[in-house]
Amino acid sequence: MKLGAWIVWTAVAMAIGGIVLAGYFVDLPELQELRLLFMRWAILLSAAALLLGILNLLAAHMHKVSQQEAGWPYSGLLIVILLGTLVLGLVFGPDNRVVLSLFEYIQLPVESTLMALLAVSLAVAGVRMVARRHDVYSLIFILTALLVLLGTAPWPFGGGGLTGYFGWLRNWLAQVWAAGAARGIVLGIALGAIATGLRILLGADRPYGD
Amino acid sequence: MSIDVVGLTVLGVFILLLLIFASLGRRWQPSFRKLPSYEALGTAIERAVEAGERVHVSLGTGSVIGPESAPAMAGLVVLSRVASATAMSDRPAVATTADGAMAILAQDTLRTAHARLGASERYEPTSGRMLGATPYSYAAGVPAVLANENVSVHILNGSFGSEGALAADFGERRQALVVGGSDDVHAQALMYATAEHPLVGEEIYAGGAYLNAGVFHGASLRAQDVLRVLVILAILAGTLLSTLGVIP
Repeated sequence: MKLGAWIVWTAVAMAIGGIVLAGYFVDLPELQELRLLFMRWAILLSAAALLLGILNLLAAHMHKVSQQEAGWPYSGLLIVILLGTLVLGLVFGPDNRVVLSLFEYIQLPVESTLMALLAVSLAVAGVRMVARRHDVYSLIFILTALLVLLGTAPWPFGGGGLTGYFGWLRNWLAQVWAAGAARGIVLGIALGAIATGLRILLGADRPYGD
Repeated sequence: MSIDVVGLTVLGVFILLLLIFASLGRRWQPSFRKLPSYEALGTAIERAVEAGERVHVSLGTGSVIGPESAPAMAGLVVLSRVASATAMSDRPAVATTADGAMAILAQDTLRTAHARLGASERYEPTSGRMLGATPYSYAAGVPAVLANENVSVHILNGSFGSEGALAADFGERRQALVVGGSDDVHAQALMYATAEHPLVGEEIYAGGAYLNAGVFHGASLRAQDVLRVLVILAILAGTLLSTLGVIP
C-alpha cells in the first residue's frame, strides 16, 4: 500500500509538472487554459498551506509555553498577538484602520529596524572575515568593497579630484567586473534551477515524501 | 499554434544528458572538485551528533510556487540527508522556512527520513516549522531557534534576500558552523561576508551530489557542466558573428 502511495504522488507531480512546463513552450489554447487552471490551484493550495503553517507555528509556541522552555514568555506574547491580530482581522476585515495600524506602527518599524541592523552586521562581518579567512578571494572582496565605498560615500571638504577618480573606479568595477561576474553566476544558477526542476519532474527527487 | 523549438530542444538535450549520465553513474563515477563548505558540513554534522547538538536547515523565505522554490527544493535534499544522519541522535535536525507549503514539505522530508530508518516514533511535527510569513519576521525568529534548540550547525539553503545575511550572522554570533547560499546574487554577496562557509553561484544546487543523495544528483552536475560549455560557446559565437556584422 505504501509503495502504491508514492507512485501515485510521483505520477501526479510528473503529469501536472509536465503539462505546466509544456505550456511555456507550446502555444496551444487548450494547453494554456489547463496550465492556468493548475497554476490557480497551486495558488489556492499555497494559501491553505499558509494557514497550516501558522497553525504549526502556534503549536510549536504553545508547546514551548506548556513545557515552560527557555524564552516561553516570548512565545506566550507571540500567541496573544497572533490570535489578537487574527480576531481583529476577522471582526473588522483586513482593510480596517485598526488592523492596518498594527502593520503600519508595529510590524513595519520592527522590520525596518532589522534592515538597518544589517548595515552594522555587515561591518562586523567584514572585520570578522579579515581576521578569519586569509585567502585571495576574501582580500579581493574587502578591497572591492572599500573601493566601492570610497566611490560612493561623500568626501569631506569636497574631496577634490579624488571624488571623480573613485567615482569612475566604482562605476568601472560595478558595470564591468561585477555585472559580468553576476551574469555568469546567474547563468549557473539558472542551469542549477532547471536541473532541480527536472529531477522532480522525472521523479528522482520526491520532496512530497514517500 | 506556435512552438518554441529552441526552448524545447534545450530542454530535450538537458533531459537526455541527465538520463545518460544517471545510467552511467554507477559504472563511471564522477569526480567533483572539492567544495570546502560541504566538506566542513559533513564533519560538523558528525560532531553535532556526538555532542548532542542540533543541526538547523533553513529553507529560505521564498514561496513554493515561483522560481524561488528551486533552491529550497535543493535544500530539501540536503535536509533529507541531514535528517537521516541525525534521526537517531539525541537531537534530530530541525528545519525552518517562511512559507506554509514549504514547511509542510519540510515536515514530509523529515518524516520520510525518520520512517526510512525505522524511527517514526522519534519524529516531531514541530521540527519542520514556519517562523514568520515575511522575510524579516522570519529572520527575527531565527535567533530563538538557534538558542532554544542548541544549534551548532546552521545551514541556509534556500531563496533569501538581504535577510539571509542577518540569518547567517545570527549563526556566527552563536559560533555555529554556518553554510549559506541563495539564488539571489546580492544575497550571495552579503552571505559571502557573513557566513563562514558561503555557497557561491550554483553551489547551492550541488548539495545532493556532494552529500551522496543519489546518482541523479551527480548526473545533474555533469549535465549542467555540458550545458554550461554549450552556452559559453553560443555566447562566444554570437559575439563573433555580431562583431563581424553577420547577425544584427
